[in-house]
Amino acid sequence: MVVLAVLLPVVFGALLLLGLPRALGVLGAGLSFLLNLYLFLTHPGGVAHAFQAPLLPGAGVYWAFALDGLSALFFLTVALTVFLGALVARVEGRFLGLALLMEGLLLGLFAARDLLVFYVLFEAALIPALLMLYLYGGEGRTRALYTFVLFTLAGSLPMLAAVLAAKALGGSPTFLLEDLLAHPLQEEAAFWVFLGFALAFAIKTPLFPLHAWLPPFHQENHPSGLADALGTLYKVGVFAFFRFAIPLAPEGFAQVQGLLLFLAALSALYGAWVAFAAKDFKTLLAYAGLSHMGVAALGVFSGTPEGAMGGLYLLAASGVYTGGLFLLAGRLYERTGTLEIGRYRGLAQSAPGMAALALILFLAMVGLPGLSGFPGEFLTLLGAYKASPWLAALAFLSVIASAAYALTAFQKTFWEEGGSGVKDLAGAEWGFALLSVLALLLMGVFPGYFARGLHPLAEAFAKLLGGGA
Amino acid sequence: MTLAILAVFSVALTLLGFVLPPQGVKRATLLGLALALVSLLLTWGRPFAFGPYAVDGVSQVFTLLALLGALWTVGLVRSGRFEFYLLVLYAALGMHLLASTRHLLLMLVALEALSLPLYALATWRRGQGLEAALKYFLLGALAAAFFLYGAALHYGATGSLVLGAPGEGPLYALALGLLLVGLGFKAALAPFHFWTPDVYQGSPTPVVLFMATGVKAAAFAALLRVAAPPEALALLVALSVVVGNLAALAQKEAKRLLAYSSIAHAGYMALALYTGNAQALGFYLLTYVLATGLAFAVLSQVSPDRVPLEALRGLYRKDPLLGLAFLVAMLSLLGLPPLAGFWGKYLAFAEAARAGAWGVLVLALVTSAVSAYYYLGLGLAVFARPEETPFRPGPPWARAAVVAAGVLLLALGLLPGLALPALAAGG
Repeated sequence: MVVLAVLLPVVFGALLLLGLPRALGVLGAGLSFLLNLYLFLTHPGGVAHAFQAPLLPGAGVYWAFALDGLSALFFLTVALTVFLGALVARVEGRFLGLALLMEGLLLGLFAARDLLVFYVLFEAALIPALLMLYLYGGEGRTRALYTFVLFTLAGSLPMLAAVLAAKALGGSPTFLLEDLLAHPLQEEAAFWVFLGFALAFAIKTPLFPLHAWLPPFHQENHPSGLADALGTLYKVGVFAFFRFAIPLAPEGFAQVQGLLLFLAALSALYGAWVAFAAKDFKTLLAYAGLSHMGVAALGVFSGTPEGAMGGLYLLAASGVYTGGLFLLAGRLYERTGTLEIGRYRGLAQSAPGMAALALILFLAMVGLPGLSGFPGEFLTLLGAYKASPWLAALAFLSVIASAAYALTAFQKTFWEEGGSGVKDLAGAEWGFALLSVLALLLMGVFPGYFARGLHPLAEAFAKLLGGGA
Repeated sequence: MTLAILAVFSVALTLLGFVLPPQGVKRATLLGLALALVSLLLTWGRPFAFGPYAVDGVSQVFTLLALLGALWTVGLVRSGRFEFYLLVLYAALGMHLLASTRHLLLMLVALEALSLPLYALATWRRGQGLEAALKYFLLGALAAAFFLYGAALHYGATGSLVLGAPGEGPLYALALGLLLVGLGFKAALAPFHFWTPDVYQGSPTPVVLFMATGVKAAAFAALLRVAAPPEALALLVALSVVVGNLAALAQKEAKRLLAYSSIAHAGYMALALYTGNAQALGFYLLTYVLATGLAFAVLSQVSPDRVPLEALRGLYRKDPLLGLAFLVAMLSLLGLPPLAGFWGKYLAFAEAARAGAWGVLVLALVTSAVSAYYYLGLGLAVFARPEETPFRPGPPWARAAVVAAGVLLLALGLLPGLALPALAAGG
């Protein structure tokens, strides 16, 4: 099943790239969403649907995938976001094909149980992202592209070295996660291996000051917002810290935990601060995303069960609302030809549906109780407080700041005087609005249900680090 | 068997060429190469020896790669003169011979048998090609002299002309070093690479395809048998990856760029020589032959002669299939997963790690990251806004070969295990 879930979008993506019509992409994204919904609803918790086949015989590399509580939740939110994007983004079929390809790679990434396969997919997801930026990007795309590649490769080579070292120095016969965990590293080796991982994942998260690739990446991408929604999902750094880097080298993590916590809190605050000053929607959302990733990372780095659970839940939820906001920004761009916040004014008069949707998405982002952002943020800060009260307080400022930047942007765009006749939501856009609001509400009201698979993982994670209940 | 088929076809076609039309010779050449391939596959895994001519696993794996390159080249060319096809056939004979012997004299004969036809092929287009061919010839002759000196010293040090005879002392080391120079020239390892950019740029594209695939395969098969001293090897690897990658950064012409990239790849391949693992080297060469062959096949359809980077712009809009295939080739050469090139690099790097050559390994990793810059530049150029240049798609079967190579690169990237058992024959 898990292999089917991964392959479905890949197959549809490949078909679209060969020039088949766009409608097929919407169908593929819809089917993928339904399949992942089914997988999530029927997932019992624990590891299910395991699949394993040798990839490099003799070298201990396996195509190994499995669904656990974490990957099931991420599968659902990724498939939902891509489906929403396919519904509303007015892009050509090939673009949608790249998006589906990326979805498949991301699903594979979240389900991978073999470290080298994880590395392969981690790198492979770069290809569709690059092509989207290059083929459909704005004027300065070449520069954005090279910045992106430079940062990514600078991280992935130490990571490859860490992958090889994790197996060789620990004495594990294979790259399978369970085998690697059964052969722990010595303390000094753990430090270097963790450092290799940390560099790659901190760049992908991204943590301040390794975020320089992020703003140009979003600014230069296609205005439809589809690529940005995927870019939001592509930030798998926090996930990778939780699943691979910290469990494989806990002693290495312990030595730099303080620094990482500090950087995460700093990222949260810095992102919120720059977002407040942002002049256009994409910059605002890019930095807001940076801020949220900082909060999520803070939760995982705290090493507490609450923090880890909250961080992961926030990661899943933020994919939905930040992705939704990027897509909405794309709708606005299509109607007005601009992304500059100061130039909208009073859109609520002619497009009340859009205003309502934007408000709900923004409120979810701010962390209003009852919407999907709240449970994650709350648990994260709770966990962070246990680890370091001062840093939690620092990061908490970013939550307040997020209310300021989000509501200011909303007010400038939809209220105030002026405004011209802008078309309200129509057709498939209503589907987009209803589905995302429904998802935000459900994830906010029933967090226990959605996080049911996360709980045991977070407990085990904290126990590994010597804390926990 | 393979040798006999190649020899019989070479001689027979030399005579028949004067009466048959060139197209007939082309078909007969293809038939000869295909028959050689079949006979190779029929005797796969079964060693065979006749005097100094000994077919073993290494020879079979690398002959296979060389024959693939030759078939591809002959298929791609539409020459009005029958000699072209013959020269490729003679060179293929030399390659098989070079891969199938440990005897130094036979190696020298094989080396010349494959080099002389290539000197001629390099001149196929006059003008610029002539200068390139002259450079190739002079340096090649020098390399052959080095090889001959090496062979003589080897005889002096060990009393035998067969590689692998026990020997020690400075004389023996010098002999191995000289042999390394001779073969390093053919493999385009730095610092013996000076001919490569000029010859690649000046020669017709299908010929370059042959040089980049077949010649490399044969040269590395021979290098596997020379147990090179690790210090000399480290120097070659370090120079090759640094010179190749850094010089490629500045290139504005696709063939010249790929020439420098081939120097860098020779460096990566040499990492597997540390442990003499034919499987890792064979897999690397397989992915390299497929990706480079694919790249040159696309380039030869864009222009038979020089290919400035601007000529590649917009290829994807004119012909999506070729554009995508070219991107796949570039990403595989870069070694980005999930393409086959990644596993090639992975295996070669793992060999270096196993031999404990950490210094060159780190250097190889870093330069590999540098190479992203030019491979992406080249691969993404095909997606740029179209340039108004005439584009004439190649024959349908050439397109089919391009697609097949692209699919193979992807398939081997997803399931590299498919090819490994076959390559294990060399063990």
